[in-house]
Amino acid sequence: MRILVVEDDNKTADYTARGFSEAGHVCDVIVDGQDALFQAMRTSYDVLVMDRMVPNLDGLSVVKALRAANVKTPVLFLTSIGGVDDRVEGLEAGGDDYLVKPFAFSELLARVNALSRRPPVQDQKTVLAVADLELDLVKRRVTRRGQPIDLQPREFTLLEILMRNEGRVLTRTMLLERVWDLHFDPKTSVVETHMSRLRAKIDRPFDTPLLHTVRNTGYSLHAPH
Amino acid sequence: MLRTSLFRSTPFRLALGFGTLFVSAFLAMGFVAYQLMRAELTAELDKSAREIWAIVAATDTDRELEDIVAAVDTYSRLSKREDRIFVLLDPSGRRLAGNFSKPPTSSGLSLLSAEDAGVDGNANYRVVSGKVNDNWLSIGLSLAETDRLALIALKSMGWALAIVTVTAFALSAMLAARIRKRLDSIADTMVDVSNGKLGARIPLTGNGDDIDAVSSQVNSALERLAALVEGMRQVSSDIAHDLKTPLNRLKMTIDTAIGKNDKGKPVTDELAEARVESDRINETFDALLRIAQIEAGARKSRFAAIDLGEVVGSMAEIYTDVADDDRKSLVVKGSLSNLHAISGDRELLVQMFANLIENAIRHCPEGTRIAISAANLGNLVVTEISDNGPGIPPAERDKVFQRLYRTEKSRTTPGSGLGLALVRAVVDLHGAALTLDDNRPGLKVRIEFPVRA
Repeated sequence: MRILVVEDDNKTADYTARGFSEAGHVCDVIVDGQDALFQAMRTSYDVLVMDRMVPNLDGLSVVKALRAANVKTPVLFLTSIGGVDDRVEGLEAGGDDYLVKPFAFSELLARVNALSRRPPVQDQKTVLAVADLELDLVKRRVTRRGQPIDLQPREFTLLEILMRNEGRVLTRTMLLERVWDLHFDPKTSVVETHMSRLRAKIDRPFDTPLLHTVRNTGYSLHAPH
Repeated sequence: MLRTSLFRSTPFRLALGFGTLFVSAFLAMGFVAYQLMRAELTAELDKSAREIWAIVAATDTDRELEDIVAAVDTYSRLSKREDRIFVLLDPSGRRLAGNFSKPPTSSGLSLLSAEDAGVDGNANYRVVSGKVNDNWLSIGLSLAETDRLALIALKSMGWALAIVTVTAFALSAMLAARIRKRLDSIADTMVDVSNGKLGARIPLTGNGDDIDAVSSQVNSALERLAALVEGMRQVSSDIAHDLKTPLNRLKMTIDTAIGKNDKGKPVTDELAEARVESDRINETFDALLRIAQIEAGARKSRFAAIDLGEVVGSMAEIYTDVADDDRKSLVVKGSLSNLHAISGDRELLVQMFANLIENAIRHCPEGTRIAISAANLGNLVVTEISDNGPGIPPAERDKVFQRLYRTEKSRTTPGSGLGLALVRAVVDLHGAALTLDDNRPGLKVRIEFPVRA
């Protein structure tokens, strides 16, 4: 995957670039906003990781300009502005995701992976399946090995998102945003609680687990290798 | 400091303007009064002249010339020539009687100067002339008395004008100086404030006039400003204090790691610890920034109609299992439907309720029952989050909403001490009122939201 990182802080830029390279991606780093706009128009990237505050042209304007020029490359905003309005501003400008500094690299990687392989919007599958687990979006029904499983509405949403991202790592914060619409980090174990309940229902009665905890990062649902 | 001269000050210019206007009005009024008086006096004189002419003319009966000649002569003798003039001419123009000789040739009223009449002095005369049978009778009354009266009137008006002018301008200057003094006191106060004396206030006269009203507005703005600055100062020192401790801890952890590393021992534990500590510092910073942003109020532009029942319901749904896992229970009390809409920001309200519920979950012992409710109450929508845990002592209830404040009991549990400060900021942004009550036992957090207009 080819990633453009726009970041004016050397240390952060090195840290992200090295991380992406180790994860097997090709990564370009640009410091200046105007250069970034030029480079992003000229080269086809899979994902742009954009700092909001860069010299010459701020990240928000770069993305607005790109979207105006019909460049649809997914953009993830990286910023130290952790304010409540900034996320909305970033998404309104045409960003696809938003991550506040300081961040764990595993979080950034998980989000970039999710962005680059985001299924097309017109994906209208009504039955999702992972191994012997099936989720029917229309009938709101979940079965494993043909046995019906009774899920709470929130557990159903959680499972749906995990299944749509089969094999990908979803971090705690990604889940909080997508399942619970919580854009802050709760002090209590909201994710863990619901994850353990979901696991009790879809995995425990069966011999092969599908739901896996990825240490220090998040969760992933996939068939046994 | 910059101070304008008295003559350029607004009150003085205003006073000068009003003074001039007043004096001009007085002049116009005087002119009209003088003209009216003159006209009235002249009319009176004309009336007398006609009357005397009529009386003299009436003596000419049965075509006896002697009677009218005698009457004219008697009148002439009885009056001074400066005051009244009489003449009777025969058809050939010869004087039959009287004290002057050149009457006007037209009949009716006319104005005749002493010179034209052939008399001494410089008075003017109002003369009535007319034919009596074939003879010409002219009778004139001097305008000297009228002129004298008019002069007296003119003089008194002049004096009045002088007095009015002096009074108007003196009063104006006095008023101007007074207003000027009050404006100066406002300016002085502002200079004090800009020099850092935030406690300075504009002195009020207490008479409730417009300057007082503006001054008290400025004073209350200064009050808020002082409170804000005090808040900022408080926060800065709190940050300095509360972040210094974890920063020092971080440094010590790193020092330990360096020491161990030098001896060739593994430093994995120290690194993990350093990460936790730096995360905590970041978290505190983030929370402070968020609160500052909420307090700045920019978020208000995104307010929409919110159904608190829906918000409270989904919070209960999220946290019921979390409380359960912690061996506490979270229940919704009463119905959450048919609530009035309020005006608000859903995301902030969600975070507010989350903070309150998490606070209850984290600070209460196992077995605690947490109840959450929302109901209409007149023009308000009231939400309550109550528990039967240990509660907060009354003395600490106000303080828990301050940034970085932690009760003695909670110092050892994790948390930034900013959760309730954020709650307070969200409550204030929504114009809601928050009270902490004793739930006997436990804590009841009651928030009253105004219904959306």
